Amino acid sequence: MTAFGRAIAEARPRVVAALAARLRDLDQAEDAFAEAAAAALAAWPNQAPRDPGAWLWRAALRKALDARRRAAVRARLVPDAPEPPPTPEEALMAADEPIPDERLRLIFVCCHPALALDARAALTLKVVCGLSAERLARAFLVPEPTMLQRITRAKTKIAAAGVPFEVPSPAAWPERIEAVLATLEIAYAQAYEDAALAGDTAGFAAEVLRLSGLLAELLPDDPEVLALAALVRFAEARRPARLDDSGAMVPPHEQDVGLWRRDLIAAGVRLMDRAAGLGRSGPRQVLAAIHGAHLTRAETGATPWRDIAALYDVLLALRPTPVTAVNRAVAIGEAFGPDQGLAALAQVGPERLQAWLPYHAARAGLFAAAGEAVEARAALDAALALRPPPAERLYLERRRRSLG
Amino acid sequence: MQYMLLVYEPADAYEGEGGEALLQDVVGRHMALAEELRAAGVQIEGAGLQGVETATTVLTGAGGRQTIHDGPFAETREHFGGYYVIDVPDLDAALAIARRVPGVEGTKIEVRPLIVHDQ
Repeated sequence: MTAFGRAIAEARPRVVAALAARLRDLDQAEDAFAEAAAAALAAWPNQAPRDPGAWLWRAALRKALDARRRAAVRARLVPDAPEPPPTPEEALMAADEPIPDERLRLIFVCCHPALALDARAALTLKVVCGLSAERLARAFLVPEPTMLQRITRAKTKIAAAGVPFEVPSPAAWPERIEAVLATLEIAYAQAYEDAALAGDTAGFAAEVLRLSGLLAELLPDDPEVLALAALVRFAEARRPARLDDSGAMVPPHEQDVGLWRRDLIAAGVRLMDRAAGLGRSGPRQVLAAIHGAHLTRAETGATPWRDIAALYDVLLALRPTPVTAVNRAVAIGEAFGPDQGLAALAQVGPERLQAWLPYHAARAGLFAAAGEAVEARAALDAALALRPPPAERLYLERRRRSLG
Repeated sequence: MQYMLLVYEPADAYEGEGGEALLQDVVGRHMALAEELRAAGVQIEGAGLQGVETATTVLTGAGGRQTIHDGPFAETREHFGGYYVIDVPDLDAALAIARRVPGVEGTKIEVRPLIVHDQ
């Protein structure tokens, strides 16, 4: 991204949020920001102004109020125009205000539980981060018209159903913050899946990184918010090491620690320290602690499998999902031997997992460690039959070959 | 904004032993909530409906031909049992009231904004 593009992207959440709070209309806020950004391109030929956000806020607000005035003039042809239009002078005066920080309200609107989860994630990345529908469609693996329709529907519902542009009341807070966190998790899961694909989605992960950091900055006293920001940083720290030269996936405990990004690890550790100091546990803190434990190999040279297995015990109690159970079985196998891992895996309920690739991959690893090559090969064949993406396929095929 | 809270209950909500007592309890709580909402100036109207066995449906078919049928428009596991119409500032306020509408396990409260026609 150019310095110019970065200045605009960094200013965007604050400016769009302030516009949306003022205009009470997401479309108008986005349009005004886009116009101001286009004007900036012409007005900043060589370098950005000292405070690009303030410049964009003034320009966008002026453009939005002008557009309203024009619309009001047109509406005067109809009797009883709804509200008196602001004069250009009023518009200029309004624009001299500092930018109010409405980012949290904007995030709560876009992540309202009255919207479907996938629509929330798309809308948040579109409105807050400015990702195009085309780029979101690629990341969420849907056709572009589908993505456009999803975003339009969500915006229409916000307006028609009266979703308020407010930070939720204390009574509604736990549910609402959970909705925001779930939205970010969906967005990040999408970005993480894309790691093995072409680099055109790496920018998508960067936006989720930025968004999770923004939320941690806005809600520094919510340990689960901090933990999610840490989790995204820990996972992103390993991104440069996730594929080998042949494009095959490399699991965390085999990755070259020299490729891990120390800056992101340090940022994640700082967030986790702060979360721990708040003294309230939660599933995202445990999950982030598991990711963090893997990363300690960079210092100690060994993956702390016993710690990881113990953390998975806690996570399984908080989030009893098959995903957690399978990952726990893998950690138990590494910590206490493949027989115990296979025993843990047998408790998961295999009939629910036949179509789930990580289950077969986990079984293959445990059988191979137990010296049961026939069973391991069968599990790898079952995994490969589920048509994994290229990086994972290359990795599984190599393991298959190593078993003869 | 005006919202309708549509109350859907499981078809067998008040069947069996203790069903009648449960129904009386739920109805009593509806009355109390409605009274409170009216006093607060939030509730515009509302009513409970008699059972679906009392329902009759007028169906308009091709060419505008209308026929009369016994029963509700669709056979579903949930029955539409009553409604509230409220006037509150926004969806969050409407959802807060919807949470307080009494019901048994499986009760669903659908919150729908009303179309407002300009005068």
